[in-house]
Amino acid sequence: MRLSQSVSSVLLLATASIAQAASSWSFDEGLVSIAARKGADGVKEKLNAKTPLSKPISLGSSDALKVALTAKDNGKGKRPHQLFVVLKDKDSGLEAPFPLTTKESGKAVVQITQKDIPVQLLVATKPLEVSIVIGSFGSAQAYNSRVFDVQIKTDPTAPAPSYEKPVRYGPKPEIHHIFRADPQSPPKIISLFFAAAVVATVPALFLAWLILGANVNHLSKAISAAPLSHASFFGSIVAMEFVFFMYYTSWNLFQMLPVAGVVGVVTVLSGTKALGEVQSRRLAGER
Amino acid sequence: MRSLLSFAVLVLATVVSAISTTGDRLLVVLDDAAEQAGYSKFLGDLKSRGFKLSFETPKSESLSLFHLGERAYDHVILFPSKLKGLGPKLTGQLLLQFLNADGNILVALGSDTAASTALVSLLTELDIHLPAERTGLVVDHFNYDSVSAPDKHDVLLLPPPGSHRPGVKDIFSAGAPSDQVIAFARGVGATLGAGELLTPLLRAPSTAYSYDPSTQAETVDDPFAAGEQLSLISTFQSRTSARFTLVGSAELLADKWFDTEVQKPGAAKAVKTFNREFAKRVAGWTFQEIGVLRVNWIEHHLNEVGGSNETNPKIYRIKNEVTYAISVSEYAWDAWTAFSVPPNDVFQLEFSMLSPFHRLTLQPDAAHSTPDAAAFTASFKLPDQHGIFNFKINYKRPFFTNVEEKNTVSVRHMAHDEWPRSFVISGAWPWIAGIGATVAGWLGFCALWMYSAPVSGKKTQ
Repeated sequence: MRLSQSVSSVLLLATASIAQAASSWSFDEGLVSIAARKGADGVKEKLNAKTPLSKPISLGSSDALKVALTAKDNGKGKRPHQLFVVLKDKDSGLEAPFPLTTKESGKAVVQITQKDIPVQLLVATKPLEVSIVIGSFGSAQAYNSRVFDVQIKTDPTAPAPSYEKPVRYGPKPEIHHIFRADPQSPPKIISLFFAAAVVATVPALFLAWLILGANVNHLSKAISAAPLSHASFFGSIVAMEFVFFMYYTSWNLFQMLPVAGVVGVVTVLSGTKALGEVQSRRLAGER
Repeated sequence: MRSLLSFAVLVLATVVSAISTTGDRLLVVLDDAAEQAGYSKFLGDLKSRGFKLSFETPKSESLSLFHLGERAYDHVILFPSKLKGLGPKLTGQLLLQFLNADGNILVALGSDTAASTALVSLLTELDIHLPAERTGLVVDHFNYDSVSAPDKHDVLLLPPPGSHRPGVKDIFSAGAPSDQVIAFARGVGATLGAGELLTPLLRAPSTAYSYDPSTQAETVDDPFAAGEQLSLISTFQSRTSARFTLVGSAELLADKWFDTEVQKPGAAKAVKTFNREFAKRVAGWTFQEIGVLRVNWIEHHLNEVGGSNETNPKIYRIKNEVTYAISVSEYAWDAWTAFSVPPNDVFQLEFSMLSPFHRLTLQPDAAHSTPDAAAFTASFKLPDQHGIFNFKINYKRPFFTNVEEKNTVSVRHMAHDEWPRSFVISGAWPWIAGIGATVAGWLGFCALWMYSAPVSGKKTQ
């Protein structure tokens, strides 16, 4: 079957070269084999200059890929100037040529192991395209055609080959700053509940004082004894709270300090008088 | 300010016509003055573009790249020389110094003369590698000229290089008909290192290879390089945008190949070469006539309603909305034109402190563009990090001069009175209520302490 195929291909080649006036390069007796170092059965496939092998050949980490062929110029064995096996990664378009050792008769051979293959091709996921390039000086038409594919099987126990692309000037990925999250507040209903609970302590306090008998019955007595002092003392305490309120809402420190100073002086001056009156009531046994 | 600038540009454009952006003094180094005749069209084109050509031989006494420490020329062309070294006036070190001083160098080689040692040492510094024997011959049995080299296959016919890779402007073959070919006759190929400053301008076809005719005449079992690894025209652009071009085939610049008709094997008819226009563009690029970018102005300002209207303020606050705009022109042979970003490429702005916080694409801003300057703009929110930041443009692309711009601004944090008030923060309500309760309690306590009468029936002592 294979013999008939190769015979027919030779015939085809012959007719083709007759059809073209100029001679052309091709090859014959092409053989690709995998020599496994571990003594496992190697793969052997005949190569055809016209049609590539349908299945990719797998190349293990300790295997050697051997390509042997006879270069022919118009059917006659001859040594070409250029006889390369070219491995190509279809995705990246990268190629690695391997020149064959050629004899005068056109017989050529090359052995490729994974060590010989550049790392850029070793990391390729798809099978590498293997083509044969035969060319030489003169008018003979050069030959360049894909003959088979090879799938690289890297050693799973060894560290995988890694390849870092060289730095190239070009656009860089966009960066958008990720902002910190805004501060969060608890649900308003919870804040409202606790605010209400805090506010509720005020009536509770006043109620407790009332129950304990608190009153303001001496207000008239105190006012009549020292009207100006009491009014301005209590008024200044209230005013101080107002100053603090204004400072919270709109004033700055320099607006607040002089006013607080004035209020404070009033508090001290009127306080001595007013608290003296309170003391006199205590000494009189009225408290 | 901007109108003044554009006026200045206009004046400049009218005074200087058709000349490089970096100067017009061009030194041509030839072995023999008679060789000029072979390149008369190429040199004539340069002269007609406004370059002042000086011719010297490497051995010449008067030859000096520097005068009193300054560059004596702006550009240098070195044609192939038969000398082993180029003499004390043109050592590799001196040529490198010339590049460092922002001079531009175009080197042409040929396969019939080995490159001089001075050139090889310069090339090694730039990480461009020639075969060990300093020469080689690139042949391709598929793409050769069947008219002039039917047997030797050493005249390669190559399509114009096109875009180097997606996103890089095609300045060497833009506008060329697709059936045009470049004749690369008897040339040397080089391999390039992995650096980003090196760019192959013209690669060999995948079936081409370089060999040494003296030792590998029969068959080539160990080619120097083959396929696209082989760079026929290599370029180097330094970080300061000084340019260096290595043309593997001096014949590419020669009259002989400017208007010759060439024919690929199997092609139906002969075509004229693209060499003359291509040589003009290669020289034009090397001598800074094309692919030169210039920044005209940079502006940034606050982009907030009611915010300050100041241009280029020194300080911003975190989370401010800011707009940045930049105007860029590209030089095209004799005039500044509006720069347009090549397709698949982007013009980016970085806002960075040590490392970029934002890297954004600048969009064309038609409102501020003019025919000779294109404006680009980006608006964004400053990061929530205070410190010293830079608006940074770092636009470095093959075949364009480098654009590096840095504008420093401070970004301050929020002032104490710029935060939301506590009463609008719902979580603060219990605390505000607490203050209110304390105030009410304190006033009530003061009143009771001063005005409460003793409870009747209770003993007071």
